[in-house]
Amino acid sequence: MKKRTNFWGWFWVLLAMVYFLVPLVGTLEFSLEMLRGIRSFAAYQAVFDDPQFAETFLFSNQMALLTIIASLALFVPTAYWVHLRVPRWRPVVEFITLMPFVIPAIVLVFGMIKIYKNPVVIGPVMLLQAPTNSVLGTNALLVAGYVVLAMPYMYRAVDTGLRAMDVRTLTEAAQSLGAGWFTIIVRVILPNLRAALLSGALLTFAIVVGELTLANFLDRPAFGPYLWLLGQHRAYEPAALSIISFGLTWAALGMIYLVSRGRGGQAQVAGAR
Amino acid sequence: MAVSTAGSPSVSRRLSLAWLGLLPFFLFAFAFLIAPAASLLIGSFRDSQGALTFQNFLDLSTPSIRNAYWLSIRVSAVTAVVGGVFGFLLAYAVTQAGLPVWVRTGLITFCGVASNFAGVPLAFAFIRVLGRAGVISQMLKNDAGVDIYQLGFNLYSFEGLSLTYLYFQFPLMVLIMAPALDGLKREWREASANLGATSLQYWRLIALPILMPSILGTMILLFGNAFGAYATAFALTGGSLNLVTIQIGAQMRGDVLHNPGLGYALALGMVVIMGVALGLYIWLQRISERWLR
Amino acid sequence: MRVRWNKILPATIAGLMLLAILAACTPAATTAPEPTTAPPAAADTALPPEVDPMADLVAAAQAEGMLTTIALPHDWCNYGEVIEGFKAKYGIEVNELNPDAGSGDEIEAIKANQGNMGPQAPDVIDVGFAFGPSSQAEGLIQPYKVATWDSIPDEVKDPDGYWYGDYYGVLSFMVNKDVVTGENPQDWADLLKPEYAGVGLSGDPRVSNQAIQSVYAATLANGGSLDDAQAGLDFFAELNAAGNLVPAISNNALVASGETPIRITWDYNALAGADGMAGNPPVEVVIPATGRFGGVYIQAISAYAPHPNAAKLWMEYLYSDEGQLLWMKGYCHPIREGDMRARGVVPQELLDKLPDVTGAVFPTLDQLTAAAALITENWDAVVGADIKAAP
Repeated sequence: MKKRTNFWGWFWVLLAMVYFLVPLVGTLEFSLEMLRGIRSFAAYQAVFDDPQFAETFLFSNQMALLTIIASLALFVPTAYWVHLRVPRWRPVVEFITLMPFVIPAIVLVFGMIKIYKNPVVIGPVMLLQAPTNSVLGTNALLVAGYVVLAMPYMYRAVDTGLRAMDVRTLTEAAQSLGAGWFTIIVRVILPNLRAALLSGALLTFAIVVGELTLANFLDRPAFGPYLWLLGQHRAYEPAALSIISFGLTWAALGMIYLVSRGRGGQAQVAGAR
Repeated sequence: MAVSTAGSPSVSRRLSLAWLGLLPFFLFAFAFLIAPAASLLIGSFRDSQGALTFQNFLDLSTPSIRNAYWLSIRVSAVTAVVGGVFGFLLAYAVTQAGLPVWVRTGLITFCGVASNFAGVPLAFAFIRVLGRAGVISQMLKNDAGVDIYQLGFNLYSFEGLSLTYLYFQFPLMVLIMAPALDGLKREWREASANLGATSLQYWRLIALPILMPSILGTMILLFGNAFGAYATAFALTGGSLNLVTIQIGAQMRGDVLHNPGLGYALALGMVVIMGVALGLYIWLQRISERWLR
Repeated sequence: MRVRWNKILPATIAGLMLLAILAACTPAATTAPEPTTAPPAAADTALPPEVDPMADLVAAAQAEGMLTTIALPHDWCNYGEVIEGFKAKYGIEVNELNPDAGSGDEIEAIKANQGNMGPQAPDVIDVGFAFGPSSQAEGLIQPYKVATWDSIPDEVKDPDGYWYGDYYGVLSFMVNKDVVTGENPQDWADLLKPEYAGVGLSGDPRVSNQAIQSVYAATLANGGSLDDAQAGLDFFAELNAAGNLVPAISNNALVASGETPIRITWDYNALAGADGMAGNPPVEVVIPATGRFGGVYIQAISAYAPHPNAAKLWMEYLYSDEGQLLWMKGYCHPIREGDMRARGVVPQELLDKLPDVTGAVFPTLDQLTAAAALITENWDAVVGADIKAAP
């Protein structure tokens, strides 16, 4: 393999790191100033002493994982189908996936409450009890809301990943070997989408953990509201919390990344190497 | 790549049912996006007392609101383009430039977090560093004698807001484009080198045309991301920059104004603009696909 | 056959994570009770001897078992202790929604949750003065007169009992003494001086009650009157032109970091914030010499409250001497302060901690509405960044 000069590579990366790290260092430095005149972790101690911190962070992490699973299950087959069979529908689908940007989250949550505070009925048949009255139902609504919020990112990630591979050839090859749709998606398409799915999952995770509006109005003990509330009245703890949540989320994403990369290296193209 | 789809009756019969594959998606979107947002449509026709009115839509043409839309579009477009270009360069740097694997892992996961670092924490971080009493501002003033605020820089301005927005725009571009860059096969690079093409020609004639649909698609994502952003702008500028999202927030959530109908109408306006942006993107994509052939 | 670690390991971890989710999700999803255990308020001072009428209400409320509140941050008027006290006294669970909601959010929450008996529907609201009559007109609240109804001043309650003032505060300057090392600004006009650069509002006047009252308050000091808020707008235009106004939304972190060493906020917020910073940095709270502006908030019970009896009991608690004193501990002036002072039930330490706010003016509802209309319409032009001149 030809060795290319790394100069420009390092240049952009270092430039980016300066831009990204300087504000973080500023926040970090401020968070260490809680006790007068000395640098200390007092603000961090205060945050960790609060049991609500662990509770809400854990809850949001759980919701994030559920959202990722639900999003993958919904968007991978959809994007695949659009690429393969119904490219005419692409503008419609893309328009829908971009809608969450312009529909304020608060409209979404109030709309959901208005609809789902009643039992789900078809005619005289009740399918479901009112979702808002049960914890499980409300959690499901929350996950659904999160899937909607993450939709633009997750769909775009999957779509970009599909463009980078030859979907039609792979599908036809698999079909000629006798694979059914499920096998094709799970054993042929998904492995090739690994890098893209990872990006989507990382984005989704970060969105859910920091999300504020849905959790507030659906009354779920999530991390976003906790973060906000602390920021309203305290001076140093919010800075500490920013750094902590940044670090913890980074660690969680790192774990997801390492777990899914397996042996590391590039996404495989079936048969090519 | 397009396979001809016109022709035999059996093909068109299959096609007419093919859209059913999208049914789960449409059902989900209806149940959790369109139906809840329907109140948007209905509510935009009501005034604050609940009576039916067109006034909200008429209000959209007031200068203050027209300026709000224009400002939002400008901020979103600028950060989409700048974020797109530099994000692409960064994605290129970690995927193609032969850097060690840990750099990629570290940067990609960092981008995952940074892409959602927004709102009050982000605003605070930038104020802390580049505000009037900011660490960097003070350092430059006291040690280097350079007062950036005297020179015209102002964090609480269009430029400052754009600079802050880029903090989550760059990572978004990197995250989505890195897998796409992975899809550039090494053989193509080697083959083009064997045929005597320079690096520039490789990019201009092979790599960029292939990547252009993804680049454009991601830029429109960046546009939408900035267009719908609210918390960062609010925390940073206190509403002194008149963005549409801030207007909507003021109408729907605040203690003072309370005309949710106008808020809904504003949001509908945003839906229309996103639609136009999407149309632009599709058109650009068609052009770039011709370039590919 | 080679052991496929890259398949087994991820699958195992994914499986474990899934198990963890399923195990942790369902049983632990009840709303967590408040972890802080503040002791209930000092011994009952003024429970009327006829406790019996309350006993029915208490029993009915306890049967309902839960109260849902909204928009009550714990550091605002010492609501943290108020809520703990209520829970400890009656054993009723308090479900706290959305502590960062604005008054508009609270109204929307009632509207959206009509008919919803679940925990997302608020029972009681605490909103800005102007929202009382408007939510009454929209049929969103129900009337209730607490036992101590008569000692609430008439100007701040609805004669039919739909809404009633709960506490008030006066706008003040919160000053970071590390940055403003010399004299404090004593009045609004002082803010224009160069040594007081870095003044921040606590919100956007088009959105936040606190911020718009700040602009309105400046009117009085700038030669205007309660009927015309234009002088206040002019003052802020001057402040902005002098470069003293920082557009960012000011909060305690920005005061401490020095970006907005002078923050305009309600006195109770400033005092609570100063306590929270515990001298790092040292903060002083100044009530302006002229332009003392009082802001009243009101309580109401939702017409669609899933737990109406718990809501009524909550009101009784808030308007009892016990509840009012807890608010006072949070530096808020409880609405029955006059009555309680006259009866001598306020402890001296509390009295000493409250700043002197004599001469504070309270605008009427009409004046508030007119001022709000004027300020929100013109704020952009007066203070907003000049977007047309941007490159």
